[in-house]
Formats: sequence, C-alpha cells, structure tokens
Amino acid sequence: MSGHGNTAVDERIGSGLKSRTKHALNDEFLRKAVAFTTDKLKNGRLQAMDTFGDWEAWRERGRAIRSHTIANLDYYLGQFADNVVQGGGNVYFCKEGKDAVRTFMDIAERNKAKLVAKGKSMVSEEIHLNQELEKKGIEAIETDLGEYILQLARETPSHLIIPAIHKNKQQIAELFTDASGEHFEPETKVLAEYARKKLRNYFLEADIGLTGCNFGVAESGSITLVSNEGNGRMVSTLPKVHVVVMGMERLVPTFEDLEVVLNLLARSATGQKLTTYTSILTGPRASGDLDGPEELHVIILDNGRSEQLGDPIFQEVLNCIRCAACLNVCPVYRHVGGHTYGSVYSGPIGAVLTPLLQQDMKEAGSLAYASSLCGACYEACPVKIPLHDMLVHLRHRKVKMKLTSLPERIAFKSYQTIFGNIKLYKLATKSAYYMQKPLVRDGMIKAGPPPLSGWTQSRFMPMLPKQSFRDKWGALQQELASRRKEGGKR
Amino acid sequence: MSISSERRAPGTMTGRDAFMSNIASRLGRRTPSQTPPERPFKGAPEFYTERRMTQEEHIEQFMANWTALSGKVLVVSEAEAPAAVAAYIRQICEEHGITRITRWEHEELIALGFDGPVREAGIEIVPWRGDGADGIEPGPSPSGEGGVWQQRERLLRAAETCRLGIVWPDYAVSSTSSLALFSHGGKGRSVSLLTDALLAVFRADQLVFRIGEAFEQFKQRYPDAVDMPASLNLITGPSRSADIENDLTIGIHGPGKVHAVIIR
Repeated sequence: MSGHGNTAVDERIGSGLKSRTKHALNDEFLRKAVAFTTDKLKNGRLQAMDTFGDWEAWRERGRAIRSHTIANLDYYLGQFADNVVQGGGNVYFCKEGKDAVRTFMDIAERNKAKLVAKGKSMVSEEIHLNQELEKKGIEAIETDLGEYILQLARETPSHLIIPAIHKNKQQIAELFTDASGEHFEPETKVLAEYARKKLRNYFLEADIGLTGCNFGVAESGSITLVSNEGNGRMVSTLPKVHVVVMGMERLVPTFEDLEVVLNLLARSATGQKLTTYTSILTGPRASGDLDGPEELHVIILDNGRSEQLGDPIFQEVLNCIRCAACLNVCPVYRHVGGHTYGSVYSGPIGAVLTPLLQQDMKEAGSLAYASSLCGACYEACPVKIPLHDMLVHLRHRKVKMKLTSLPERIAFKSYQTIFGNIKLYKLATKSAYYMQKPLVRDGMIKAGPPPLSGWTQSRFMPMLPKQSFRDKWGALQQELASRRKEGGKR
Repeated sequence: MSISSERRAPGTMTGRDAFMSNIASRLGRRTPSQTPPERPFKGAPEFYTERRMTQEEHIEQFMANWTALSGKVLVVSEAEAPAAVAAYIRQICEEHGITRITRWEHEELIALGFDGPVREAGIEIVPWRGDGADGIEPGPSPSGEGGVWQQRERLLRAAETCRLGIVWPDYAVSSTSSLALFSHGGKGRSVSLLTDALLAVFRADQLVFRIGEAFEQFKQRYPDAVDMPASLNLITGPSRSADIENDLTIGIHGPGKVHAVIIR
C-alpha cells in the first residue's frame, strides 16, 4: 500500500497505531478538517432524519432487510448470480483477493486494456488492485475527484465518503500543477474545472470501466451504483467493458427493499434526500441500445466475509451499507481521522471489519482499542449494527488468545486479585496514597512514570486522597441521616 | 409505448459451487437453499408507503426540492407547451452560448415539435438514433488519431460535443425531486450524462411521491428481468462534489445546470 502521510510511518496496523495516532494529533489542519467535515455530515444526517418521519421505524426496517438478506445469503446470492447471467453478464465467484485480482487481469488481457477508469470501489482498495495493475503496466485512474487527488498524491483515503478531507486547496493546486505542467491557483472552481476536463478524457479513452456495487438486486440481477459526481455513470456507460467488483454481502432481495436502503444510505452519508445519481444496471447494453458497455463482468468477492456467517456475535457486521455515519460521530475518529487506522476501512466499522476480514487479531485486532466504547456508532448506524458490543468482543478475543502484552496481562491479573478481595483492596489504596507522594505537586500528579505518563502527558491527575470515599462512607451516611431529620422537623 | 428490449444471450458463471457450498455450510445448511425465504416484511415502512398527495401538492414538492438543489422549473399548460419548450431551449442555449444539443428520440418530445424553431436559431440537434449524427462533425479523440474514442460510434462522439441534453423521463419523484429514466433504444443514457446542461420535460401526471413507486412501475412494465432496460437512472439535481475542502462544486462530471418543464 502506498504511504498515507508525507513522513514514513509503521505500516503495520497494530504496531504502528500509536505512532500514527501521534502523527495525526500533531497535524493541526487534519484535525480541523476532520472535525469540520464530520460535523457537517453529522448535522446533515440529523436534519435529514428530522424531515423523514419516524427514523427509528426506517432504521428497524433497514436492519430487518439486511439481517434477513445475510441470514439467507445462499438463496439470494444464487438468485442474483443466476439473474446476472440470464441478463447477459458474466459472474465470477472469488474466494480471496488474489483470485479477484487474477480474474480482473484475465479480463483486462483479453481486451488488451491499457487504461482502466475507476469509479469509487472500496473492495478494489481492499484487494490492492491498483498496485497489481501498475505492475502489469496498465494505467488505472481514480475518477472520483477526491480519489483522483489522492492518487496524484499517492495517499490513501481518510474518510469513506470524502476521501481527501485532509488535503487543502494549496496542496491540491500543487498536485495539479505538477501533474499538468500548467500553473493553478488554489481556487476550488479552477481546480474543479481542470479535473472535469482531465477526467473526461480518461472516461472517453478508457478500455475498461471499473466500479464497485452499492447494492445488487437479487430478483433482477441488477447492479446499483450511487454517486454525486456522476463518475460512476461515466465509467459504466462509456467504456466498452464494465467490470464490477463487489463484496458478496452487498445485496437486497427486491426493488422494494432497494428503496429502503437507498433512502437510508443517502440520508446517513451526507444528509441528502437521495444521492444525485442512482444507476440501476441490468446486463450489458441490449440490442437496439446505442450506448452502454458491450460486456458486463461481475466479480463477487468473499475475502474473509463468509467467516462471519453463522457467528452469533459478528454476522451482523455484514449488514453494513458503507454510509460512514459511524465515523462522523466517533470521538476517536473525529480526533485522528482515517489514516491512523492503517486500513482501507476506518472509524468504528473499520475497527471491527478489518481484524475480521483479515482474520488477524494480533495486528489488526489492536484497532478494537481505538475506540471509547461509547456506543455513538451504534446509535448513528442506519442498520443498527451493535459496533460497540463487537468492539468489546474483539478485545475479549484478543485477551483470550494471549495477544496482549505481558505487563498488561500481569497488570490485569493483579487488578483482578486486588479488586476481588476487600483486604487486599484496602491495603492497595492505602499504600498507593504513600507511594504517590514523591510525584505530587500542589495536589496533582503532573508528570508520572510510564504507564502513568500516557495520562499525564496531556492532563494532570488529581492525587489520591488520604481517606477514600469508602472510608468516608460511614461518616457521610450519618451526616445525611441527621440532615434528613432536620429537614423533616421543618 | 414500451419497446421491450430484445433478450440478450446469457453470460457465463465461474466458481459458483464451492463458493456457495461454503456459504450454505457457514449458515448451517447442507446445500444452498433453493426456496424463497419467508418474509414477514418487505420494502419501506407502511406509514410512508401509504402517504397520498394531490397533483398540485406533487408539483409544489417537486419544485421546492428541485430548486433547493439549484434546479430551475417551468410549469406550463398542455396548450402552451410546444411554444414554451422551444422558447425555453433557445433561452438556455443563448444564456450559455450553446450551439449543439442532443435529445432523446422520444415520441412525446418529437410531438412538441421544437426541432424546427431550435434549428432556426442556428442550433444543431443530435437526436439519439442511429442516423442522428449524420452531417454532424463529431469530436476528436483526446489522445489524437487512433485513440480509443476515435473508434467509438459516431453518435456517441457527436453527443459528447453537445452541451444540452433533453429527455422525457418516465417518472418524476416529488419527495426527492428525482427524474426516473428507463434508458434503452432512443432513450440513450448518454443524453442525460455528457452535456453541461440537462432539460427534462414531463407531464404532471407522471409525478409520483416515492422512488419506490417508480420502481413498481418499472417492474410492472418489465415483469421479466431479462427484458429490463440495461439502465434505470434516478437523477436528483446537478452533478456535485465536496471533495475540495468541502466547497460545494456543481457540475463536476455530469450536467451542472438542470432544468425541468412540467406540463399541467
């Protein structure tokens, strides 16, 4: 994967988490941009919910539809695939990312493709398709404006919906200047006009259009794509070959259900009533059609998803419709942005999905700690995925697999012993009072030794009092009782 | 008036059995299920699907939503329509210095008869039909002679040089101000995509409340999935992006100016 910041950082998801966090917290522009964007999207969502009637009823319906689809995925995926084939499309089932990459390469080779125009596709990022294409000398161009900017900068998305929130106009103008040799002022209008012209040429000259799939409709074998810019429509209309790469869970049974998820997606993602373009594509161009692709290929990817099926705790993570509402409300994401997670999927959903898809608790499992367990993600989720519970279960899994550090395990073991025994507990609180003395200044611990320093780096810690609340309780109770009596006399 | 598209030859399927068996077994079944699962619920909540509105309310809602997205609307009577639409097209072209436009080859649009008056104003028209680009100079390939674009259909290349596209949507959705376009044959999808500006003309009785109603009509018209048009597009306002520092940019890839004429 290409780097995300300008500085070299540890690319391992878990081991690099702390250094990436530090890096993000020191980036003033990033923090402001992330806070501004997430607020805007969050407020848009709240407003859209407000004007839509009973949001809870919608949410419950969304959950029910997605849970039903996943619980019967064998039926619906079979139906979907049959209908795609009936409609003239080709279907490829791929167990792993590398199978999907190979399938795509075969299609590209058969078509002697030199240029691939890409609509937004998280799955193609998940399987690192761009890097593989580059190795084969095939140019792949990201056509979503934000993704295009990131491609020029050789960086990865920091938000699911607005991928380049961490880039400012000055940086974008410099990227466009470098790419074109023309000089650009940092003005949105000028930059957008250049991108429109430049990317239009790619749409026209591409041999293959590549997209993801927001929702497949099982009853018709249709591919539904949503985009605000229209690049999804361009790459699925102009090139002769359209290739779809989709996760196997990305289905709804019927058009009636599609209405629900489209409403939930637009309102939860950006607060729009509907995304500007919703394209429902059924097969390649029909005879009598004068535009549209001549070939349609649908690559259906597992890549760790089926491992969640039948799991009583994690099956529901496959309900996700990729709206990013959980990112916008997450207190952790809002401070550090997407790169800190070191994964294609960031925020609460990324913290859950990444270790599950990669089946890696050691590195990716650490993301479960990049959360405060506050539950805001669950409340924002339009399909009610209990992300906060899943985060706890992932932490539990990590502990059970003995993947936490030895000092941490010893610390928690002692914690368990001390807090489980009243005598030990009393002794510990007493001795802690005396042990802290060398560190206390003016009633505060201002600079502690590790691991306490993690806290005192950014805030002071009040000293432990000589008498604990528990010790005071007897006296407090008496005081309370005598006050009540007095109150009763009046 | 629906032209059923001809059936396509079926495609191929690769790697299905092992993939599906694995899913079935994870779900605790010996073989992949072949029977439609029981469904106690389907589609949008009932309180929403039961909403009804008068035609006037539909028009009002569509206008409010469409203009909130920076779209423009003109409401005319059946009798005024032919002259009004022709005048509106000329006005849009004049405003933006447009000299070439494209339109669906659609009987309702043809019946409005605007081709004559529009051509009189010196504007070229590329109707979306096989011979639509005859006598029109299509655009060159961005990469020059021998480029991929140079080898594409003349009609498609000609349409790409047009700066206004005119369509007659199958339905319009008032609650979201979306145009529903069932694209095939003369109703090309490029017409609503490649131009700078888009004009949609439709009758007030084509207005429905929810996108779900447009889907219902689509399914009724094409009950068999293999007959469905290859593209159903919902268009809700102008092409937009917020990818540069959250500044709203209109018209990033698709049409940035969107117009509607509602015939009452």
